Order: sequence, then C-alpha cells, then structure tokens
Amino acid sequence: MWNAIETAFAGSAWPWAFVVYVVAGWVIVRPTGPVLGRFMSALGWPIEVAQRVSGATGLPYLFLLPNMLIFGVFTFAPLFINMGFSVTDGQSINFDQRGYAGAENLMRLFYERSIDTGLQNREAIKFAQAVVDTAVFVVFQVPLMIFFALCTALALNRDIVARGFWRSVFFYPVMLSPVVVGFLWVLILKRQGVLSATLMDWGWIDQPIQWLTDPSWTMFWSIVVYTWAHLGFYMLILLAGLQAIPKDLYEAARMDGTSDWRMLRRITLPLLMPTLLVVMVLSLIKAVQAFEELYAMNVRWMSLVGYIFETSGLRGQPTTNGLGVAATASLIVALVLIVLTLVQVWLTARQARL
Amino acid sequence: MKHPIKTAALSATILSAGFAAQAEEVTFLCSQDSNECDVMQELLAGFTEETGNTVAMDIVGYEIIRDQLENQLQTDAAPDVARVTNLGGLNQYYLDLTPYVDATYWEDNYGATLPWFRAQDGEDDGIYGWMTQLTVTGPYVNVTMFEDAGVEMPGEGATWDEWATALLEVKETLGLTAGLAIDRTAHRMAGPAFSYGAQFFDDDGVPILVDEGFRDFAETFVEWHKSGLMPEEGWPAGSGTAYQNATPLFLSGDVAMHMSGSWSINNYATNITDFDWRAVPAPCGPGGCGAMPGGAAVVAFESTDVPEAAAALIDYLAREDVTAEFSALTRNIPAHQGLQETGVDYGDASPAVAEALRVFAANAVVAAATTPQAYTFQGYPKNFVIYGVVPDYLTRAITGEMTLDEALDAIDADVAAQIAE
Repeated sequence: MWNAIETAFAGSAWPWAFVVYVVAGWVIVRPTGPVLGRFMSALGWPIEVAQRVSGATGLPYLFLLPNMLIFGVFTFAPLFINMGFSVTDGQSINFDQRGYAGAENLMRLFYERSIDTGLQNREAIKFAQAVVDTAVFVVFQVPLMIFFALCTALALNRDIVARGFWRSVFFYPVMLSPVVVGFLWVLILKRQGVLSATLMDWGWIDQPIQWLTDPSWTMFWSIVVYTWAHLGFYMLILLAGLQAIPKDLYEAARMDGTSDWRMLRRITLPLLMPTLLVVMVLSLIKAVQAFEELYAMNVRWMSLVGYIFETSGLRGQPTTNGLGVAATASLIVALVLIVLTLVQVWLTARQARL
Repeated sequence: MKHPIKTAALSATILSAGFAAQAEEVTFLCSQDSNECDVMQELLAGFTEETGNTVAMDIVGYEIIRDQLENQLQTDAAPDVARVTNLGGLNQYYLDLTPYVDATYWEDNYGATLPWFRAQDGEDDGIYGWMTQLTVTGPYVNVTMFEDAGVEMPGEGATWDEWATALLEVKETLGLTAGLAIDRTAHRMAGPAFSYGAQFFDDDGVPILVDEGFRDFAETFVEWHKSGLMPEEGWPAGSGTAYQNATPLFLSGDVAMHMSGSWSINNYATNITDFDWRAVPAPCGPGGCGAMPGGAAVVAFESTDVPEAAAALIDYLAREDVTAEFSALTRNIPAHQGLQETGVDYGDASPAVAEALRVFAANAVVAAATTPQAYTFQGYPKNFVIYGVVPDYLTRAITGEMTLDEALDAIDADVAAQIAE
C-alpha cells in the first residue's frame, strides 16, 4: 500500500508543500493544548490568523467573500457590460471596436423613423409588438395561474385520499426543464399531435388545427402551457400559507355554524393575503420574463425576452446595431422588474406592520 | 525502488515535453451536413502522419456555426480552423494562408472561389480557405409518390407553376401533409425568386430586394401556403430569423418535394430506403432557372496560436488527391477546377446519386447563364442578414399577421437598417 501511495505522489511536490504549510502554521500560530488540537490549529492557521486580525465580528464577512466574488464576476460584471453595450453600437462584443452611441439605441427602439436609414423603423415596431404581446400574456396568465394555484392548494390542503401523491403530481412539472416542457407540449399540439388527433376522432373538428402556429390559438396555448409548468411552484407557496392559518379559527367558526364558503371568504382568504401577494408579484415577474418554454415550442409571438434574444444576435447573424438595441431593451425590462420588486417589498413590509 | 520510479517519471516528462514542442494540436470546429467531418477526420490521419500535428475536431450542427462562431471569434474562445458557410462575412477574422502555401497551385485550382472569401474593397488578394465542396440549391422529388398518385412529373425546363400544379395534385391524391417544403431561409427561397425575375441587386451591387419579380414570387409563395402546397410545419412554424431545416419532412414522406441543395445528396442516398428519390433541374420562370451557388469552406483564423499547422492542415485538404477522395466519399461536387475537368470517380455511387450530381452541376451552369444575380448574392458579404430578415416578414404575411404589402415594405426597411454601417 505504501508503494501505491509513493507511486501516486512520485514526481509531485505537494506532500512537501503540505509539510512546509503545517510547519509554517505551527510557527505562526504557536498552538497550545492537546497534541491533536495543536495540529488542527496549525492546519487551519490562515483562519486563526484571520480571526485574530478581524476579530469575531469581521469573520463572517471573510466567509462571504468567496461567494461575493463569484456573484460579482457572474452577476454584476455582465450587468455593467450590458449597460456598456446599451450606450455603444457596432457588431463586435469587444468594447474597443464599439463606438459610443449615447441615446441612439434608445432612439432605435422608440423612434418612428430609423435614425440610420430614414425609412420606417422596424425595430421600434418589433419592440412595441413584443411589449404588447407580453402584456397580453401577463394580463391573462398571471390571474389564471393564481386562481388555479389557489384552487389546487385549497383542494390539496383538505384531508383527501393520497394527498402526498396529488401534491407531487401537481408539483412535478416544476421539476422538468423548460425545454422538456416545450417539446412535450409540441408533441401534443402539433398537427399530427395527440390533441388534434383526439378531437378528430371524436368528430369535433374535421381538419387538424395548428395549435402553435395558428395566430388565433398560439397565445392561448402559450398561457396554458406556461400555467401548467409553473402552477406547482405557486401552489406549494400557497399550501404553506394555508397551513400556517391556525386550525382553531376554523373550529370556532364551525361551532358557530359558519358555512364553508363563508369560512373561505372570511378566514382563509384574509389570512392568506400576505402569501397571495408574494405569489402575485413573483408570478408577475416570472411572466414578464417568459421565454424558455415559448422558445422551445416555437410559438408565433415574441415575448420581450425573446425579442432581446433574437435582436442581440445570439441566434442568427449579429447585425450592426443589434447588440446595443437588445441591451437597451433588456435594461428597460429590468427597470420594469425592479419596480415590480419594489412594490412587492413595500407591500410585504406594510403587511408585516399591520 | 525509489530511483527507478523517479527516473521513469522524469524521462516521461522530458519525452512528452519534447514531443509537444514539435507537434502541435489544431482545434477544428466542423459543421456537418451529412458525413463531411467524419470523412475529413479520416483523411486528416494522413496529415498527422506526415507532419506529426494532431487535430482536435469538434463536430457540430450547422446552427452552432451560424449562431456562435462569430461571438467566439470576438473573444479568445475561437477554434484554430472551422468549416463555415458565411464566406465573405467572416473575412475580417481570416488568417491569410498565402505565406504558408503554394499560391500558384491555389490560384490555378481554386481561383474561381477564392474571391468569395475576400473583402469587397478590390485590393484583397489573400487566400483564405478551402472550399470543401461547391453546392447548388435545387429540388429533390419523391418519385414513388408521383407514381402512386399517377401524376406525371414535369420534365426538364418545367416552370415552378407547372411543378406547383403537379405537386398539389400529388398531395391531394395521396393525402399528404403538403406537396413542397423549402428550408426556412432566403438562401433556399432565392433560386425560385430569381426564376420569377427577382433581381436582388442593382447594377452597382447594392441590395434592392423588393422589385416586381420579388413581389410576384412573394405573392405566389404566400399562395402556396394558403393552398396547402407548402406545410405549416415549414416557414410558419419558425419565428423571427430562425433557420428551419425541412429535411425531416422529406425523409419521413410528408412532402413530395424538398427545395434543398446538393449537400443533401449523401444524406438522402444513405437514409432514404423506402421510396425512390431524384434531384430534378431547378424549375424555371420568366426570370430564368434560378439556383443559388455556394458551399462550405475550411478556414483558419488570425487568432490561432498555430498558424503554420493550421495552414498546413488546410493545404493538405486542398491537395488534388485528398480533395478527390473527400468529394468521392461525401458525394459532393469539388471546387478544385482541375478535378472538375477530369471528373471525380464516385466509385459505387448509385444511379440516383450520379444523376443528382449531374443535375446539380447543370443547375449551377444554367443559373450562371440565366440568373447571374445568384453569384452576386453569394459573394455579398452581408447576405446572411438577408437570409434571416426575409423569412421573418414573409412568414407573417403567410400567417396573416401582416398583409403582403406591409411585409414587403418591412423587408426593405429592415434590410436597409440591418446592413447600414
């Protein structure tokens, strides 16, 4: 066995480095107490030193540092790069090859005439269309989903048979990748898909319907699929809210002979309101960001995020102004989302005070 | 015991270090239509044997090259060489091979295609890449379906209108999903549009997409979707500028004709077993018999750390014997002019394959004579922008989100904005 260890470390310097590290630690920390404890102190000397330097209150920040670094590199850096893209133009993603554009990208998004060609500005029309379509999606999808999530949560909060099973059934789509959800529904909704075939079998329709490409159906199915995929998550939050309502309130109401409907309106809903609020704002933000499922299903309308994705040149050919315009659009979306989040924070704080 | 281990480890380290200094590894991002990259990988074994340099090949789909390569090139993530189709558009990133290769050999044998890679300033005379093959667009027909439906197939010189009538009859007799499928890109639509008289460029080579011929074709194209000649699963199923390949529709027997190109020959020869297929001459119209020439090429990038090895790799592939073998194994038309004259021995190619190769080669010749704008379009460095913008709006006209007039205006306005510097 010793031979194997020797072979594994042959030619490697790190066992020596380890010994040097421990010895150095021993010298720096000068541990006292039992042998094992001293050894552990020597082993962990950087922490011991950090603790001595920063004191007990500073240490937590030290532990947060690695995470903050990763967070900074992968969240804040792209944020600032994106802001940089929004005020420059050019096809390249390198800033040294991009020219300063000031507010030109904003003009490209909103002006009626293109500032580059003097012709009709298609970019503004595309962006406006994406805003309108996304708004329609949000207005229908969010209330529908909250309604169904609430119904499901109420049903699953009762003492029904195989409750755990039903809960997992409704939560299951949340665990699927959005792309899988998209492809799954394409199998159902395409021309030769299950839905058209079944309806034709029953004689309800003569011709298969293109549920996803037909402009009059594509939004409907986008909403259905998106609701199906995300319902479980919000149902779970509502379920937790329902279970936090004290049971004795219901018992007292029941003793007074209150009807179920009245209990729902007078006890459940008011006490569930804080949770409902959270669900509402979270689902609103999620709906504004809708993209993956819709992209995988190739629906015939473009969500805001879809517009940004398409315009940025991430798919297809990068164009002269695409990246800057997409970055500007994404900042506008971010602004909307920040407002929504602030509303949530404000409402939650108000609820907490009440 | 200790010493032998150390000695062995040391000598192994020295050996590998010495070897690495001599032999270099060339990273190769290869987009595969059928078996091109597999064949290249086999052929490159000879390159490794000759030079000691190794090749690390990543085989990917065409979309990866189309969507990601340019971003990679702008950062440090680019491969040393890649197989690309956007020949003129990537010019600024190319490594000029001239110092590393025999320029006379290249000019003599690839002189016709070298300008496709060059900048449009008229001063660029660099050698940038090896055309793996010459491609030409054109339709494939499911012969069995025509026979089953008892419909006579239009012959050589037939127009798109005649084909449309025949295909619609086949579709209706056999209850097919559709008669004709065209890949969702203006590259495949351009040939038919040329046939209807679309010019695409004015005399100075500036794009003027929407003219009388283009409008004629666009009307016909929308009508083809309304009448059910073309499938909902084709253009209408894609949004934005997305590319959509119609090959699966033809393979699965959902359509009787696929407007594709010569790069599909090998795919169809290998994968179609339950019906007879045939490549037919590009249908004609008032504007000629349009087809788009083109092809993929292996190019090296300026950012490479191993320019010599990368250039040697491309030079190796461009050799007459290697190119001949590549063309034979992938059933492609070579861009090597010497080979075009002597002909490639396609070995055991089936009659359908031999016929298809002949038909496509003829398409290229006819297109050069009747629709020269096809070659202008192929050499235009921003043609990829047009490939994407046109489907975006024509699709909306098909689905009724826009009128055709609005769509055509939008195409003009959007193309102008996208190509503006």
